[in-house]
Formats: sequence, C-alpha cells, structure tokens
Amino acid sequence: MIELGVLGLRLALFAAVYATVVSVFGARRRRADLVASGRAAAYIVHGLVVLAAAVLLRALLQHDFSLEYVAAYSSSTLPTYYTVAALWGGQQGSLLFWTLILTSMSSLVHLQNRDRNEALMPYVTATMMTTAVFFLGLLVFITDPFQRLPVPAREGADLNPLLQNYWMMIHPPSLYLGYVGCSVPFAFAIAALASGRLGDVWIRTTRRWTLFAWFFLSVGNMLGGRWAYEVLGWGGYWAWDPVENAAFMPWLACTAFLHSVMIQEKRNMLKMWNMVLVLLTFTLTIFGTFLTRSGVVSSVHSFTQSGLGPYFIGFLTTVIAVSLTLVVIRRPLLRSANEIDSFLSREAAFLFNNLLLVGIAFATFWGTIFPVISEAVRGIKITVGPPFFNKVNAPLGLALLFMTGVGPVIAWRRASARNLRRAFIMPLAIGFAAGLGLFAAGVRHYYALVCFSLAGFVLTTIVLEFYRGTRARQALMGEPPVTALAHLVNKNRRRYGGYIVHIGVVMAFVGIAASAAFRIEEQHSMHPGDSVEVGGYTLTYQGIRNEDTPHTASMLAEITVARGGKVLTTMYPEKRFYKRQQQPTTEIALRTTLWEDLYLVLGSYDDQSGLMTLQVFINPLVVWLWLGGITMVLGTMIVMMPTAAEQRALAAALAVEGRAFA
Amino acid sequence: MRKNRRFIIGAAIIVAAVSYLVYTGIRETSVYYLTIDEFLSKRSAVAGEGVRVAGRVAADSMRWNAGTLDLGFRLANFDNTDGVDVQYNGVLPDMFAEGRDVIVEGTYAREGVFHAKTLMTSCPSKYEAEVPHEAEAPRPAEAPKS
Repeated sequence: MIELGVLGLRLALFAAVYATVVSVFGARRRRADLVASGRAAAYIVHGLVVLAAAVLLRALLQHDFSLEYVAAYSSSTLPTYYTVAALWGGQQGSLLFWTLILTSMSSLVHLQNRDRNEALMPYVTATMMTTAVFFLGLLVFITDPFQRLPVPAREGADLNPLLQNYWMMIHPPSLYLGYVGCSVPFAFAIAALASGRLGDVWIRTTRRWTLFAWFFLSVGNMLGGRWAYEVLGWGGYWAWDPVENAAFMPWLACTAFLHSVMIQEKRNMLKMWNMVLVLLTFTLTIFGTFLTRSGVVSSVHSFTQSGLGPYFIGFLTTVIAVSLTLVVIRRPLLRSANEIDSFLSREAAFLFNNLLLVGIAFATFWGTIFPVISEAVRGIKITVGPPFFNKVNAPLGLALLFMTGVGPVIAWRRASARNLRRAFIMPLAIGFAAGLGLFAAGVRHYYALVCFSLAGFVLTTIVLEFYRGTRARQALMGEPPVTALAHLVNKNRRRYGGYIVHIGVVMAFVGIAASAAFRIEEQHSMHPGDSVEVGGYTLTYQGIRNEDTPHTASMLAEITVARGGKVLTTMYPEKRFYKRQQQPTTEIALRTTLWEDLYLVLGSYDDQSGLMTLQVFINPLVVWLWLGGITMVLGTMIVMMPTAAEQRALAAALAVEGRAFA
Repeated sequence: MRKNRRFIIGAAIIVAAVSYLVYTGIRETSVYYLTIDEFLSKRSAVAGEGVRVAGRVAADSMRWNAGTLDLGFRLANFDNTDGVDVQYNGVLPDMFAEGRDVIVEGTYAREGVFHAKTLMTSCPSKYEAEVPHEAEAPRPAEAPKS
C-alpha cells in the first residue's frame, strides 16, 4: 500500500515536469497536440497526488506506526477527526496536502477553460505544474511523507495538543485554499505576460478565483486568530508572530489587487501595478510557506530547522526573477491608456488604498525579517515585537479605514463639489458627532476615538448608499422598501456585496480597537471561597475538580460569576494534561456578550498551599471582530455569485482579444 | 505629465510616512536578541537596555511563590557553567520547568539580576514532532532522519 503512495509521488513529479515542458513547447510551436498532451498530464498529476494523499490518510486511519509520519503525528487514542487533521498537522503531510489542493485547482482551471483561452492555457498549465514540480520535488527527494521507521513503533507520539482543537481542523485547510488559490491568478498573469495577451481577459477570467483565494485567506486569518484566542490562553488573538504575519501579508496584497483590478476594468489603467500586485501576492504566499517551515525567523512557535529553507529560497528567487523579466520585456504592453485626472477621484482613492495596503504589508514584512537582516548586516540580532507592529500599522490601518469610506462613493475621474457634498457631509458630521459623544462620555484613548469616529463615517457612507439606492428603486419601480432593497443588492451584487464586506471590516476595526484600548487584565491568587472584583464582576473561587479520560487528565477551577449581586454563570477554566505528549495545556473559560468577553485562565494551582492563580481578562467588544469576519464572509459570497452582466463582459473581452489575435 | 507628477508626490508622501513609521518604530521598540553566552560575555554593556535572551532554566534553581506569583530562577548556559538570576512576576507558562529552554525579555540591572517582563517557553513545533520521553513508547525519531 505504502509503495503505491511513494510511486504515486514519483510518477506525479515526472508527469508534472512533462506537462510543463510540452505545454511551453506546444505554445511556442503552435502544436495543439502537445498542448493537449500537457493538459492531460496535468490531470494525471492530480490523480496521482490524490492517490498518494489517500494512501497517507489510510495509513493514519489504520494507525500504521511503521511510518515515521504516522508515528510522529498521531496515536491510537487520538479521536478520528483529529487523525484526519494529522494529514496536515506535520511538515511532510502539510506539503502533500498543499500539493493536493494545488493540483485539484489545476484540474478545475483546466476544466473551466477547456474551450476558451487557448492562447493562455498552455502557459497556465506550465506555471501551475512548475509549482507542483517544486512541491513534489520536496516530497520525493527531501522530506518524504512515506519514510519508514527501521522498527515499527508500538504507539504514536500523538498530534501536538495545541492542534487538537476544532478551529485547527478548519484553519489550515482554509489558509491553504487561500494560499494555493492565489496561484491561479498568478498562473494567468504569467500566461498573459508570456503570450503577450495583456488585455482584460486574464483579469476577468481569474476574478472569481482571486475572490475565492481572498475569501479563504480572510477566513483562514480569522480562524487563526480565533484559535489563538481560545487555545493559547494569553487573552489576545493576534501577536504578530511570524506565522501570523506569513498569512497576513498575502491577504494584504490580495486585497490591494482586488481593488485595483476594478480600476483596470473600468478605466483601463494601472495595468503594470496590477501585474506587480498579483505577482507579489503569489510570492508572498510562497514566502509565507517558507517562513513557517524554514526556521529562519525565530518565533514563539519555534520552528524546527528542517533544511527546507534553501529550496524555498531557490524557488522564490526563480519566481521573482521570471516574473520581473517578463514584466520588463512586456513593459510596452503594460502602459495604461488613461491617466488619473485628479486627487479627488475614485482612481486616486483606490491608488491610495493600494499604497496603504502595500505599506502595511511592507512594514509587516520588514518587522518580520528584521532580525535576520540586522544579523546579516551588523552581526547582531535585533528583534522587534508586537509594539513595533502596533505602532506602525495602527496609523496606517486607520488611514485605510478612512479610505474605505471614501473610495466607493467618490466620483470617477474628478469629483465635483456637488458629489463631495452629497457623499461626505453627512458621514463626516456623524463621524465627528460619534467622536465628540465618546469624548464627552469620557473616552480618552486617542486611537480608539479616531477609530470609532472613522467607523461612524464609513458606516454612514454605506448606509446612505443603501438608502439612496433603495429610494431610487422605490421611485422608479414602485416597489415596497424591502423588495427594492433586495432587488438593489441582487442587481448589483458586486457593488453591494462589497459594501457588506466593508461593513464587516468596520465591525472588525471596532472590535480590534476596543479590545486593544480598553482591555482589563488582572491576576489573583485565591483560596476556595475567596472572591475578587474585576470590571464589575464578582468572581468567587469554589474549588478544584479533577477529570480523567484515557487521552487527558484535567484540573478545573470552579468560578461563580456574579454581577450586581446576581449570579450570572459558573465558569470552569482548566489545565489539561495530555498523557501521550506529557504536556500541559491551558483551556480557557469564556463568557461572550455583545458588549464584552469575560476570559478566565487557570494560571496555576499549588497543591501544598491550595492556592489557585486566576488570570482574568475582560476584552470589550471583541465579539465584533468575529462578527465582522462573518459579515465579510457573507458579503464576499454575494460578490462571488456570478452575474449575467459579468459573463457578458468576459465574453466581450474574449471576443475582442480573439479578433485582435486572429 | 503634470498630473502624473502630482501623483508621484502623493504616493511619495505615503511611502515617506510608511518609511518614517518603520524607522522610528524600529528605533523605539527593538531589543537585542542574544543567546545566553552572548549575554553573559557582554552583560554589563547591555545593562539597562531591553534585551531578549534565550537560555536554559538551571536545575534546582526555581523558586516559585504561588501566593505572590514571584518567580526566581537561574538562566544558565547549556553546559550550566555560568548563568544569571532572573526575576519574574506572573503566571507560569504551561511548559515552564527546570531544564527547559526559555526566552526571557526584560532588562538587566547592574546589581546582577535580570528583571524579566515576559517569559516564553518554546512550545514544540507545529511541523516537526518531538518524540515523547516515555518509557513505554519506543522513540520513532531515533530513526535516521532523511
């Protein structure tokens, strides 16, 4: 069985190399038979990788501890769903899983485009298969998931307890879908450059893929934050750890790209910029994968020196070199037909939004690799932590929030005084009023005040858009308000779905600002029967309780939570000991309301003195971050639904290009 | 052309703002990251500055007061020939124990004590499993690594 997996990977590598070579050759020589052969090979690569992944999954489920991977990342007492998750819980498996997603997407792309984009597709095949060659090469030559142990283990070492959590079941797959999804627009961009067909076709063809990738990157980041919040037990959700930054940077570049393509579609501008952004996004996904596996940047997650670093560097260098060369060669074709007319225009607003997003990505990148740079240049290792990222990114983020309000409603080309008045007077007034009101209410945190004012401003611009659109439909069609609103959104899904995403962004900003600015954190050592007052809650420690399962042993503190003399609930923060790994973990207790989270951590328990240390965090409004994430997801779904108008635009673009190259 | 120039100015302002923020951010928040040996050899030079030091908790050096949450221990080099006393107040991280590798961040005072503001234990990697040190489980990692 195992041999089948090994063989599958080797054949897949061979087929991927073949697909790359014949596709490029076929495109150059206009040999349709070779191109078709390359496409068939790409499907075969997919099939072989599916086979290899199935073999590994089967080995995991059958607890075949003769495999090093199975012995290292699972055990016979591990619940089945975590055993499935072990497929991506370790180095080799995660690379195989990555390849599986990549080749699945490759097959989907080939199916979607079987009758169109004949000029682009050979290069798309070649680009995706080159990426597959890289990952398959790692799996075959460097880090083999099917490595056998000389003597089969009797029992496995188990999955890392921190990963035994339901968020971890869906967070990595989601992030991988996002990461790998970025390779589709990248492949089309490279194909457009290589074939010289730099019209709108590649952008319109990949629009939904880009959204798909962005969707999963967003979900992946949110889930990662939620996982950190529930599992790591330090009261927060984002620590600017290199792993987190690795997922955040491609998201930023992808967000920038999603916005700037609209300028290209509407005004035929920023072609070069879009090209750079899509190449950058893909490069950052590979860089992110590299960061989490190479051990080059030390992190609290303490990556192992796995020796994969040089290969990733090599691949990254190749990607960057090929991309830049192609961009330079095709520079004449990337000239924009139009210029930006005025600062006060949507084009300008989008450009500034882009610069801010890329600026945040750059600052994050710089902070992440700074220790490496300083060591290389000055011979001393200097590191920066969360204060750096917060200090730099908070003002940039607020500027970005402002642009979220400006960009969608300012006029194209040159905003008239009338447009500005109509679009912004009321939102600005409400934003200021919100700020003043909070100031009067005693809020003195500078960043939080600015953030809440901007949130008021942006929300008002969006509400006005919905209101005006609905009113116009009511007047024009004589529809009742709710119908008018539903039709409004349905007829312009891209625009109003985008607004819904923006509402989610505002909610997330509010949650982040409030929980960062007004968080309460206290520690108390208590005997049974002791009470403490924290943030209006009375917390009474009742005692310790022990629980035991074959897999874990737990110690729970019973805490009664009361407010104003009324008992609200009983919470059980827990220390859990994973027997197999001999590792204690913290299981927090959480009480969420729309207003604030009460977050309890059992810090320590001393047997002799009977003293229990309780960590209490009160995170105001933090639930709005997660609700904002859900809103963004819903909005993106609305945007992603295909519309007839969009299909027509793609067909038109294809026709134009067909004529031009006929 | 003039339009373009205006734009370049606008873009330059954002680029300059980002650069300025990054520059001052690094100046104000960066800390030296030293191994315990580097720290021990130049400890007086970095006294009073923010440093992050990676070392090992020396055996039999841990003093923990569960009531006041005061922790004291000796951060030693890996052959345990030299070290520095560390003081910390707060909850013990899950993985903290004598013999563990830890990272402390804080300042070194001239009287010879390191005041740690944060205490981090390196948790087992996500991607490369540690193998358990249990008697009943044979150690798969003793296999030659590919």
